Amino acid sequence: MIRMPRPAIALVLFAGLLPVACGTVNTTSTRSAPSEDSVATNAQINDLFTEIFLHVRGVRKFPTRSGVLQAQVDVANDGFNTRGFSYLFTWQDERGNPILGPMHVWKTARVAAGGSITISSVAPGPEATDFSIQVRRAEN
Amino acid sequence: MTRTIASLSLAAALLSLPACASKATYIETGGTDSIVSVGEVDIQDLQRAASGMLESLIALGTLQNAPHQPARLRIERVVNDTSSAFDVGELTYRMREQLVNSGQATVLTAYGANAESPEAQERLKQEAFRRGETSVESLEPDFFLTGKITQLKRSAGRTRQTTYTFRLTLTDSRTGQEAWTKVVDVTKQGQKNAVGF
Repeated sequence: MIRMPRPAIALVLFAGLLPVACGTVNTTSTRSAPSEDSVATNAQINDLFTEIFLHVRGVRKFPTRSGVLQAQVDVANDGFNTRGFSYLFTWQDERGNPILGPMHVWKTARVAAGGSITISSVAPGPEATDFSIQVRRAEN
Repeated sequence: MTRTIASLSLAAALLSLPACASKATYIETGGTDSIVSVGEVDIQDLQRAASGMLESLIALGTLQNAPHQPARLRIERVVNDTSSAFDVGELTYRMREQLVNSGQATVLTAYGANAESPEAQERLKQEAFRRGETSVESLEPDFFLTGKITQLKRSAGRTRQTTYTFRLTLTDSRTGQEAWTKVVDVTKQGQKNAVGF
């Protein structure tokens, strides 16, 4: 068995913690209550790895100046590295049918370790009442 | 015996190589299997830019304030000032599809080789005038759409980075003032092109 001197062990532990500390984000907010436009959601998890590190922290839905709805989703990264992901908003009419068209496209985003970002989507028209969002881990 | 097994394994591995080669297949246009080019504008970039423009235009309701409903739009010059060769119609036609088909705008078109050109529309006006018709008014747009696409390239070592900036402006034809403007940036970084994002 190899015995390491105590300073060496401390150095190894410190080096191991460095990646955790570097590049992570600290967040300060003036608001603790959830937004008045927050809505309840249902989630179907197929990729547990994504859910562990990247997760949806809040979902809001509210009318824009023109009256059409806008969705905002807060995505938080609890991992130790910056993570990229792709997402796709699909708006639905009041009968639950998806509204497809040129605005129905995959987009990408990146979140720093320990941080969160807000991704958003504006409905294609006034007929849109609900939405779903698919989140997929980035390839690289 | 061991050498025979090793030889057979090597032969099997070599035989499997052709099967691993990527075969041509259909993918979702702009989907997550698309090729990502560091120094070129890809189809998904144009889709994202068009979507971003539309979201802004629809959310602000600029077209709802036009004197005519649906709003009359004339698409003017959108300049591609990048080193990437693509038709700017890939951007504007995606926007037109959403705006026209949803009844939020009509795009003024005439006839001829380039139906959207001001020359073609002017010719239509002149012919209507000769016939003594007053349909000239129907060709007056509420807004002109203009724009520019630029790029900013940087590199650090072997890593390259390109930002494509899409900017569009709607000008109110009555006042000549800017009624709406939007900038959408798409930044890509890497050492080489890749499949999937």
